[in-house]
Amino acid sequence: MDPILEVRNLHVVYRSPRGYVRAVDGVSMTVLDGEVLGIVGESGSGKTTLALTILRILPSNAKIVSGSILFRGSDLVSMDENALRDYRWKRISMVPQAALNALNPTMKILDHVLETAQAHGIRDRKYVIERISELLQMLRLEPERVLRSYPHELSGGMKQRVLIALALFLDPELIILDEPTTALDVLTQRFILDLLKDLHRKTGKTMIFITHDIAIIADVADRVGVMYAGKMVEIGDVYTIFRDPKHPYTKALIKSIPSLVGSVEDMKPIPGFPPDLINPPPGCRFHPRCPYAMDVCRSREPPAVELRPGHVVWCWLYAKR
Amino acid sequence: MRWIVRRAIIAFLTVFTAMTLSFFVIKAMPGDPIDALAQAFVRQYYMSYEEAYRLALAAAPFVPKGPVWKQYVEYMTKFFRGDLGVSISFSTGKKVAEILADAIPWTVLVVATSLVISFLMGIVIGMVMAYKHGSKLDSSLIVAFSILRSIPEYIVAILLLWILAFQMGLFPTGGRYDYWALELLKKGDVLAFLGNVLWHAALPILTWIITHISGWALAMRGSTIGVLGEDFITYAKVRGLPSRRIVIKYVGKNAILPLFTSFMLSLGFMFGGSIFIEFIFSYQGVGWVLYQSITQRDWYLMLGAFNIIIIAVVLGALLADMLYGFLDPRIRRGGTT
Ligand SMILES: Nc1ncnc2c1ncn2[C@@H]1O[C@H](COP(=O)(O)OP(=O)(O)O)[C@@H](O)[C@H]1O
Ligand SMILES: [Mg+2]
Repeated sequence: MDPILEVRNLHVVYRSPRGYVRAVDGVSMTVLDGEVLGIVGESGSGKTTLALTILRILPSNAKIVSGSILFRGSDLVSMDENALRDYRWKRISMVPQAALNALNPTMKILDHVLETAQAHGIRDRKYVIERISELLQMLRLEPERVLRSYPHELSGGMKQRVLIALALFLDPELIILDEPTTALDVLTQRFILDLLKDLHRKTGKTMIFITHDIAIIADVADRVGVMYAGKMVEIGDVYTIFRDPKHPYTKALIKSIPSLVGSVEDMKPIPGFPPDLINPPPGCRFHPRCPYAMDVCRSREPPAVELRPGHVVWCWLYAKR
Repeated sequence: MRWIVRRAIIAFLTVFTAMTLSFFVIKAMPGDPIDALAQAFVRQYYMSYEEAYRLALAAAPFVPKGPVWKQYVEYMTKFFRGDLGVSISFSTGKKVAEILADAIPWTVLVVATSLVISFLMGIVIGMVMAYKHGSKLDSSLIVAFSILRSIPEYIVAILLLWILAFQMGLFPTGGRYDYWALELLKKGDVLAFLGNVLWHAALPILTWIITHISGWALAMRGSTIGVLGEDFITYAKVRGLPSRRIVIKYVGKNAILPLFTSFMLSLGFMFGGSIFIEFIFSYQGVGWVLYQSITQRDWYLMLGAFNIIIIAVVLGALLADMLYGFLDPRIRRGGTT
């Protein structure tokens, strides 16, 4: 498979009163055509920042310091707003977190759809309604009722499906789903995940699936990237990572899944706290919490080690020195 | 529909209670209209107080007599039949309703104009500040508005009167219009008359805008900053919506909502005008009448003016509640309150 998106050594910071927050700090990854790439990490590890950077809609206090994001070979980082217009939503769309009130409370769902279509030059109202109805139906929603509703009249799960339908509306090449099920109850979460898997099976659409819940990843993703404190620490196919995780953080994450460990008693939470991203620890950012930490981990950043084609880990344990 | 009826009943009770309160508070004020008039005679004509009192009694025969609760019942029953009583001392014998009917349009002209202008300007400036929050422009405007907000109306009014009217002669020093303009109106020159009216209203309006714009701008700034942080703004940008649409439909509309109720209440309060502004510019609106009636203890005139304000404010609040549902779909089925 060809790469559709290549992120190379990306650095993004936020200006804050205390100093620069190094939210994404040297992340590299590749998304292959037609795959579902999972990205997992604790909250605050920079997942949303990565997603917003790909779409180039970072808040005004954020800055891309360096790195490139190649989408089918064109660098999104150096692109101007005008050129980006052809990429945003038309070629790369996004499903935000359901709890986030992503829809304008004073507008009906249909108006959200119409304005989105219009912003991309589609003015044929009849076509818009037909197309969105088709998508809503596929997501098991009643189009007439939903389109007539205001956001607050829909449940979390319904809103989330509306956002998925909107993301599919222009038939983009890549969809970024940022914690699409996090705010939902367990049953709705299950339902949405099944819909998404079904959708992927039918359309073969490339997806980046972001979550803090590694248990979900096994279910939906082909490959997974593990993020810790603004860094990618391990990336590889789901089967390999779950069966034989290499990075101590990945190991700890997988040990924390109740259903994999067997019983709640065997679950091991990771001791310590994620670091402050304004003054991150030197060397490997995980070293203060790492049971295997060596001297070199405290002073020098770990290199990328390719253990096997496609399985990369950023850890001194595997570096040949 | 049921909640409208319920809200209307509550509004009526509010009006009734407020009117009752103001009746007894006014009656409990020290001094009475005859005494006030007598004091004025003493000051003007150097006569003895007894003599002045007799004169005042003769000049103002309309002072109410009998027990206060009887006066109250009589006043209220007449009020709801549209009879607001007569002026005791300010314009002896003249109907309060007539005096107010003459004053209200002028006050409304000044306040409605100022309110709309200061609201619109405040909204725009507040939004610009919010979009540039943290910038030099924003922080200097915050300082400027905070200072402006703490300057009392009468200081601004006196400064404008002194500089623009007395020193530079750009505007008249007082009054609602000139008599020569009225003559022109009688000859059919409406435009000239209107021009004259606006020329007289200019300084009161300017004072009002200067003292009220800070409130709107700062409120809108805060509200807009809140909305800018909402997820639906980010999500609108990702969908590639043009920024014009985001500014108006997403930021503007949602940021104005919390200001709407205060705007409607201000519309109600506008019938009271401003005592200071109208007094300083000798602008004969409701505030000016109110000032005169208070100094002369002209009970019924005072009550009439207060009650008009009370009714207007309560109606404004009622209207705000009803209209809010149309603006904000989240409370449209307002049956719960
Ligand atoms: N607008 C912002 N301003 C300042 N810091 C921010 C902002 N957004 C996120 N951050 C910080 O950046 C880091 C990464 O955040 P985020 O990308 O949202 O992580 P995640 O999505 O993995 O939870 C966090 O430390 C967060 O506090
Ligand atoms: Mg996030």
